Amino acid sequence: MDQLAPVLLAFPPENPTDDNDTYDKAVKAHLNRLTKLLKDNNADLILHGPQLLELLSPAVNSLSYLAVLHTLVIPSLATSMARDLLLEKLAIFLVSFDGRQCRYAGTHLHDLLSTVGSGQYLPPSVAVDVLATAILKLDPTGRMLTSTHIILARLAYNTDNIEPALKVIDKIIVFYPNMINYKEPQYLCDLDLFPPAYITRENGLTAVVKAAAVMEYDLLCGMMYCARREWAKAHAAFERVVTFPTREGGTSKIMAEAYKKWVLVSLLLNGKHTDPPSYTGAAANKLYGTLGKSYVSVATSFVTENAEGLKAEVEKNAEIWQEDGNTGLIQEVLAAYQKWRVLNLQDIYTKISISEIREQTLSAETGEKLGKDEDVEALVQNMIIGGMLKGVIEKNDDGTVFLTFLSSTTELSELEFADELLRMASRLKELQPIFRATSERLGTSKDYVKHIMKESKRNEKSDAPDPTLGFDAQVDDEDLMGGVIQTG
Amino acid sequence: MATNQQNHLLAFFTAMDNQGGIIVRDAPKLDLDLYISNYKGRTRFERLLVIGQCSVTLCLDALKAAIVEAKKGKDVQRYRDAWECIRTAAPAEPEAIWDDAWVNATERANKLETQRLEAELKGYKNNLVKESIRIGHRDLGEHLESIGDLNGAADAYLKMRPDASTQSHILDVGKHIISTMLQKRDWPGALANINKVLVANMSPEEQNAEQPYQKMVSGLAYLGTEKYHEAARSFLEVGDPIVCQRYNDVVSSNDIATYGGLLALASMDRLELQIRVLDNSAFRNYLELEPHIRKAVSMFVNGRYSACLAILESYRADYLLDIYLQKHVASLFSLIRSKCIVQYFLPFSCVTLDSMNTAFAKPGESLEDELISMIKSGVLKARINTIDKLLVAVSNNARVAMQTQGIEAARNYEREALERIRRMSLAAADLEVRGQSRKIGSTGGNLAGVGDIWSDDSNRRLYNPGETASS
Repeated sequence: MDQLAPVLLAFPPENPTDDNDTYDKAVKAHLNRLTKLLKDNNADLILHGPQLLELLSPAVNSLSYLAVLHTLVIPSLATSMARDLLLEKLAIFLVSFDGRQCRYAGTHLHDLLSTVGSGQYLPPSVAVDVLATAILKLDPTGRMLTSTHIILARLAYNTDNIEPALKVIDKIIVFYPNMINYKEPQYLCDLDLFPPAYITRENGLTAVVKAAAVMEYDLLCGMMYCARREWAKAHAAFERVVTFPTREGGTSKIMAEAYKKWVLVSLLLNGKHTDPPSYTGAAANKLYGTLGKSYVSVATSFVTENAEGLKAEVEKNAEIWQEDGNTGLIQEVLAAYQKWRVLNLQDIYTKISISEIREQTLSAETGEKLGKDEDVEALVQNMIIGGMLKGVIEKNDDGTVFLTFLSSTTELSELEFADELLRMASRLKELQPIFRATSERLGTSKDYVKHIMKESKRNEKSDAPDPTLGFDAQVDDEDLMGGVIQTG
Repeated sequence: MATNQQNHLLAFFTAMDNQGGIIVRDAPKLDLDLYISNYKGRTRFERLLVIGQCSVTLCLDALKAAIVEAKKGKDVQRYRDAWECIRTAAPAEPEAIWDDAWVNATERANKLETQRLEAELKGYKNNLVKESIRIGHRDLGEHLESIGDLNGAADAYLKMRPDASTQSHILDVGKHIISTMLQKRDWPGALANINKVLVANMSPEEQNAEQPYQKMVSGLAYLGTEKYHEAARSFLEVGDPIVCQRYNDVVSSNDIATYGGLLALASMDRLELQIRVLDNSAFRNYLELEPHIRKAVSMFVNGRYSACLAILESYRADYLLDIYLQKHVASLFSLIRSKCIVQYFLPFSCVTLDSMNTAFAKPGESLEDELISMIKSGVLKARINTIDKLLVAVSNNARVAMQTQGIEAARNYEREALERIRRMSLAAADLEVRGQSRKIGSTGGNLAGVGDIWSDDSNRRLYNPGETASS
């Protein structure tokens, strides 16, 4: 115990330095000592683990704490310590560790995260929160997908603990593990490093992520947003899967599943269904056409005045919705039908009485008009509260209740508009680092340099036009990155 | 007897209605004898038959006249058509008895005449005299047309073309062909021919003489294909009424006035109407023939829309009995009507529905449904307020539009930039979904450097790193 403590407490030094070189050396030295310790004194560590954990601060001595904790938790919970206490320590560590230190012990950290992610030890609501916090500790920008993300999404969705996961899944992912052309960083502790540089499979902070897992993550995100009725975010998430890059005519079942949900969510969000974006894979598009047929026909009847037709369309394919697990969304769509019909009335009326709305709109749930004016009023009231409709319900002197539609866009004052623009500008500025990281990555790519050389060679040769070269140029123009390089 | 007759008429019009025909119950303002005397040629029978089939009040007179007209000619099929009608409509009339003797005699004579003309033509061909061959074809064509064989006639006319040597011959060919096309209601064909035949370089006098025919046929063709604005322009440019009168085997000068005015009302705005219709000295001659059209147009130009609509409405029955206009009356009227409503509303930001109703709606009816459909189709830029019974104009606030657009653009830029980078990253991490056939080759997908995104997979396999280093 006495010989263990000084080693464990040796890092970080009393007066820490921000200098990457010194820090890197110190960490590496400490790591060597820890490794030795773990190898030679494993039994002691387990025995004295509880006292050591009390002694160490999870936020300051993160590496040492991790080492002790890892011995106690992996491969199974140690018996030398009360189970509850140990798990509490585990949770505390994961929400408070120092991300910079732990970059050096990726594999160990990852082991702990996976343990938590299995959902066996911690209650799910705690586990989700712990995982989400840990992910952001490692990568404060949250822009990079790791295998932990996928574990988190699965756990959160399956145990219905969505709320604590939001801080992670709300982030827009732009980086993925093991992109080519990231060379080993000089100092792993460099705080200016971009996540893809230090979160790699090699240093253990993430496991292998396959295309299917990436799509699964977005699909799960979409489904979580659906559960929270955040249709805009759900739509974006599903669209990411629907338009997932494909090559050589590749398609996936997950994409088709996402497409079905995407169609339904478009109805809820926009009141109509549009074709997938132009950059959707051709083979995928074809697949959507056949597999999503019944969904598209629901979407087609959704925009008509024919509520009964929509109802019939839905009832006819009840089995399909059941099979695809979309019954809930379909019910939402049916419920939203009348709301969209009411909303469309604002293209015709400025003021309209509630009873007229009742006359003019049908509910797709029953295929008939609503029974009472009060029901319509409640429906409209809900739409106004939900922010779907801008308007007010008023009452006349003669007792007629009516709805006044207000303009959906309000004129901003010059100052407000300037503010809004400023906010937009700063948001765009925040993208700068991402641009820089991307263009750096491209700039060091062998293939990219090769491409540039080929381009310039062709330009030199262009005085002797060659039809085959011209054709080549067209092929190159299709490059995904062609358009973006200049922006970086 | 009278009730019996009524029953037959009822049965006849029920049958017509079932066939999708138009039934005109109101009495038109036209006088049948006067009307039909405006025309000559084969169009007389067509017009009489249409009136007989459509107008309840003029049915018998028109059908009887049609029988007489048919028997004057040689077209047995026409007699049969008219007889079928009168047989159901008024079996008691003497015209309803099938004139077998006439039919047999005419058919025999027609056959003989066809044979004679064909033989004659053969003779001309053997003699190789161009002019005679042309005349032979023309005679045969005219004969076939008169007995109702329009396709045969068109063939014969077409064969005139190789032998047409002068400008007037070409004109002649064209007119004959167009005549059959108009009877077949082949509008695109007629339009193509009228442009082909009559656009050739002509002296101003010839131009003057031919313009009425050209414009009137292209007007009819445009009308038939529902291009109302082009049709209106054509009719308004017909020109000299005296020349026009010569072509009353197609349409009469009165028709030109009606078509031109009505189509202009349906397709032109007030300024254009003033310039092209009211201030058009050539067209004024026509308008004098149909003063009500002139009145309607000037009412519209002066903003008295309900009066304009009332005039047109009172002539609806007449328009419905015109063979060319018949099918388009409903859509033309609704076009004019919605134009009136739009124009009426234009100077206001807000109008009470009551005043709209008094101006446009039939007594006791509300305009609301019509307004709704106009708003839905985007013709009328307005909103209805059913509480205060107002029609409110939509104000376009350019500032708001600009602001929303600006913010939207920034948002889209952000979204698109991130999406592009995301896709590049996916490609760089070799995470694209691949086709089945490539699955085997891409096992090393996550190894750095293997996911070559620049060149095709097959290229990569052939490609040897050592070689590039040297090259």
